[in-house]
Amino acid sequence: MTSTPTDLTAAQAVAAGSGDTPEAPAAPAAGALRAGAGGTWQALRRDVGAMLGLGYIVLVTLVAIFAPVLTAISGWTPYEFDQTAIDPNLGGMPIGPWGGVSAEHWFGVEPGSGRDIFARIVYGARVSMSIALSATALTTVLGVSLGLVAGYFGGRVDLVISRVMDFLMAFPALIFMIAVLSALPAGNRSTLLVVVISVFGWPYLARIVRGQTMSLAQREFVEAARAAGASGTRIVFREILPNLRSTIIVMATLAVPGYVGTEAGLSFLGVGVVPPEPSWGQMIAASVKWYAVDPAYFVFPGVFLFLLVLSFTVLGDRLRAVVDAQEGR
Amino acid sequence: MKHHRITTAVIAVATTFALAACGGGGQNPSASSGAGGFDAEPAEGGTVHVLQNADFSYLDPARGWDGGVNNFYRLVYRQLTTSAPGSADDPTAIVPDLAESLGEVSDDGLTWTYTLKDGLKFENGDPITSAEVKFGVSRAWDPEVGIGSPYLKQVIDAPEDYEGPYKTGDLPTIETPDEKTIVFHLKKPFPEFDAVVSQVNATPFPEGSGAGDEFIHEIVASGPYKLAEYVPGSTIKLTRNESWDAATDEVRAAKPDGWEFTIGLDPATIDERLIAGQGTDVNAIAGIIQPATLPRLQTPRLQERVLQFDGICTTYMGLNTTKKPLDDVRVRQAISYAIDRSAIVNASGGTQLGAQSTTIIPPAVAGHKDFDLYPSEGGTGDVEAAKKLLDEAGLSDGFTLTLDIRSQESMQAQAESVQQSLERIGITVELNLIDTSTYYETIGTPSQQHDAAITGWCPDWASSAATFIPPLFDGRNIYEKGNNNLAQLNDDDVNARIDEIGAMTDIAAANEQWGALDEEILELAPIVPLMVAKTVLLPGENVTGLYSSANAASGGIDYVGVGLKDPEKG
Amino acid sequence: MPRFLITRVASGLGVLLLVCLFTYLVFFALSPDPAVQICGKNCTPEVIDQIRGNLGLDQPFWTQFFHFVVGIFAGRTYGEGVGAVECAAPCLGYSFQSSQAVWDMIIQRLPVSATIAVGAAVLWLLAGLAGGLLSAVKEGTFLDRFTTGLTLTSMSIPNYVLALVLQYVLVVKLQWLPFPQAVAFADDPGQWFANFVMPWIVLAVGYAAAYTRLTRANVLDVLRENYVRTAYAKGLAQPLVWRRHALRPALTPIVTIFGMDFAGLLGGALITETVFGINGVGKMAADSIARNDQPVIMGVTLLAGFLVVVGNIVVDVVYTAIDPRVRVNA
Repeated sequence: MTSTPTDLTAAQAVAAGSGDTPEAPAAPAAGALRAGAGGTWQALRRDVGAMLGLGYIVLVTLVAIFAPVLTAISGWTPYEFDQTAIDPNLGGMPIGPWGGVSAEHWFGVEPGSGRDIFARIVYGARVSMSIALSATALTTVLGVSLGLVAGYFGGRVDLVISRVMDFLMAFPALIFMIAVLSALPAGNRSTLLVVVISVFGWPYLARIVRGQTMSLAQREFVEAARAAGASGTRIVFREILPNLRSTIIVMATLAVPGYVGTEAGLSFLGVGVVPPEPSWGQMIAASVKWYAVDPAYFVFPGVFLFLLVLSFTVLGDRLRAVVDAQEGR
Repeated sequence: MKHHRITTAVIAVATTFALAACGGGGQNPSASSGAGGFDAEPAEGGTVHVLQNADFSYLDPARGWDGGVNNFYRLVYRQLTTSAPGSADDPTAIVPDLAESLGEVSDDGLTWTYTLKDGLKFENGDPITSAEVKFGVSRAWDPEVGIGSPYLKQVIDAPEDYEGPYKTGDLPTIETPDEKTIVFHLKKPFPEFDAVVSQVNATPFPEGSGAGDEFIHEIVASGPYKLAEYVPGSTIKLTRNESWDAATDEVRAAKPDGWEFTIGLDPATIDERLIAGQGTDVNAIAGIIQPATLPRLQTPRLQERVLQFDGICTTYMGLNTTKKPLDDVRVRQAISYAIDRSAIVNASGGTQLGAQSTTIIPPAVAGHKDFDLYPSEGGTGDVEAAKKLLDEAGLSDGFTLTLDIRSQESMQAQAESVQQSLERIGITVELNLIDTSTYYETIGTPSQQHDAAITGWCPDWASSAATFIPPLFDGRNIYEKGNNNLAQLNDDDVNARIDEIGAMTDIAAANEQWGALDEEILELAPIVPLMVAKTVLLPGENVTGLYSSANAASGGIDYVGVGLKDPEKG
Repeated sequence: MPRFLITRVASGLGVLLLVCLFTYLVFFALSPDPAVQICGKNCTPEVIDQIRGNLGLDQPFWTQFFHFVVGIFAGRTYGEGVGAVECAAPCLGYSFQSSQAVWDMIIQRLPVSATIAVGAAVLWLLAGLAGGLLSAVKEGTFLDRFTTGLTLTSMSIPNYVLALVLQYVLVVKLQWLPFPQAVAFADDPGQWFANFVMPWIVLAVGYAAAYTRLTRANVLDVLRENYVRTAYAKGLAQPLVWRRHALRPALTPIVTIFGMDFAGLLGGALITETVFGINGVGKMAADSIARNDQPVIMGVTLLAGFLVVVGNIVVDVVYTAIDPRVRVNA
């Protein structure tokens, strides 16, 4: 998914399965209460799309983890220049077809420097995955805890949290993320990216968690726990949270592609990770100038990025469908 | 002497300004135009289109002072003297403009007298007299307006507390005995004073005009064109100034009826338009093309439109000699050996857009001496020699240094290639990205400067090296702010040599000495010269009269000779 | 209704003020000293102090913020004396780098951005509604599954990647379209269309996919509602049931989403305009980021916030008008 703020909304709309209006926040998988994880997995395993997506995600994850091994095999680090692979007389254009694809450089080289695209893709996977997954983890923690607190305790706490959520969701998130990142020193961009993405991302999950918590709080088993003298915190974390498990998993899965896209988009606009650290978005940004003479330069990172976003989207979508079906049963 | 560093320029390679020595001596950066023939005599009429990315810094010549805008000023403003047209035998020469002849100097060298031509008028028909020239010059002292070229203030005598015509009033040290005569008194003799009054901020203006931001969006034309329309960041349209009399102007051919500057275009868009060459774009000129455009120019049809000029600015990496271990000359020499210049050139767009540089003074500037103290095969760096020097310095295990760079794509690419070069000898380079708008302020402040920085330098006049060496290496020119001696080199021998050569009256002999000093300085390796950027242009097929000018346009196309082959086209 | 509207506008203004404060605070706290940037080449500490004093940068945060907010409504003058700079209302700041009021810069580029936004919106609404309806009618068929696959793909392709693919195929290889640039409709309608069609597609694709899914889901939901079943039971023909009972409630949520998406388009335009090099507000914002021209970044952020807030209010009003249930509740 592209990195516009509304795309986050759109992703949630997919999650919600129906109208995603401020007046009527729909709650997906509202009652997928005791549907065992095993059942979900069984159902998911039969879905070709979901399995292909999962396969690709696993592949990219492995590539990211074993990046140093892979580049040792391919023979080039992501930072090494190769002057022999480019033509100094043509502005540093890669020599050979498809952006200099050869036995030496499997995915060709970067114009101007001759850096190995394969190595940069492999290391770029680290950036994409680590930032997207960290941002997802942080948003989930923030969204779930604040959503639970607001939904269970209600009253003034709920009012404050809800206002903050409304405010953040009414904010032009992408533009503001860019503005903040451009104003901040370039120091530790990866961490900043995660924090900034999460600050604007958590309300979407929190809103749904809040809604479900409110309805769960009225249920018998919660009443019973309360009657037995359990504390508020205990009820929230021991009784309500486990019931939100599938919702959270679905929402988190659906959030990842948005964050992959956001990271790449921010890097594309020059406020992401700092060069020469490779990132897919940054590679695509650099390829814009070369699109006419070296299309391979945008095709390689573009395809990897697209497939990663697609895989998460499909996986999340199917996961939701499965959980919904279990709920309906 | 004031500096000249490379900034993101518009039409030209670099920020520079025109201050040319009288007489020849400078090697004229030659224009090798393609078979298309950009030297045909332009016809009368038509509109020349200029496509550019950045807006001009200022319309007010007291404020603006860079290669792009100086060239633009030439179309609308005149001064007592100016740079010869790009088509002249020696385009670096200073020739009379508003004045009938170059200045007459008194025996003590302190008084310069100019006589104005007849028939000089502003666009509104009012005559340009010595009073208007004096008023225009005095604007340079205004603390808010006079932020452009510093030469007038540095050379012309003025009361200590003088703050320009708006705050203080009349400048008593400039005399106007009659409407035609203007007399300047200098602080100390300055043989090249004709070049000082050719500075863009010596433009005449009606008395009392131009206070505050009045000239931010306005022009009072004395040149052949006047402002017809200005939409900041978008368009500038110039039409003929009917009050301008061609008989008074030997510099400006001014063949076209108008000029249209389209601003804010993406560099890639500009190249696409020039390649397509449709509609009014046949009449268009623009700045240096993008490296990615080069492979697309290989068709014969486009190849004949390609125009190439040599560069006059050196890109270099300054090594801060006050930081450890860069205070050890062997370490600096090791770095000089290790740098892979071919990689730098490739990262900057390849051999068509840049040439490796092993000297401080570039070949196109007088005083250049050809030498290479740290030679290597193909300029790729001599790793063995570098390692040996590091061993001697006791740094066989290498060290870490921080390189300040501007957060701009081509500079980042250069920095990354430096990083790669030095990794080979165990030096880890950490890149410190500095925002474009504050970059020069930061590296020009020794307290904020790190170990090394990549920047560039252009000469203030191309006919001598007097503005190349002293500002960069005079140890007495290290300032707390606005410092240009990035290496903070303060070497007694170098300082003495600078004084010695600066005092020489024979310019040719002085130039030879500057070249020798260039080599002496590089033995100390305070900086590593990297490359000289070259200019590759793709003008529209109907444009002609394209000549480069080192002085008026920083090596780009001098606007004053440009015109159209067929005014009806486009 | 008026009371509802007043409350809505008041809370909108509140949010806007918060956006303003938040933005101003971030730039106040994080960004490099604007005085240093303005100071330029021949800078000395004295000049910097002078500029700071002149622009009021030496005043406390709340004073500066107050001046800024007042400037939005009443305009303001930066500095004093001969160096003073006028910034007429609505003054969103002044870019000293380009010697222009930010508002003027925005206004100058807004037509181009509006052209891209409106064109894209038309495109995605048409495609989204048509695709969604078709998919819902043919639920479970190959066509439905194909549409679902297509929407997932479209949602996943980053718009700058799509832009490059289209540009390479349509401009370089097939040469059907020119390299996009802003052409005025009045100058040449054909060229206008040819130049803008790629930006429209690129900006619209993600939304079109989301709307297809949304429309499909809504229509299917409504068709399962009791009153629709009743209508069928009464023997009404399918087209009539669709028109009278299903479409309207199914499309109501679309209005809400559309209002908010359209208001938030500036973010998407930023990437689209940048990748095609078209000079709209988004490109201006991206360029300002590269140059660190803070007043412009801040101005655009505020404009984007303003659009979102206004979009929300408009949506609420329209919503009450078309959905009676909300009106009753309100």
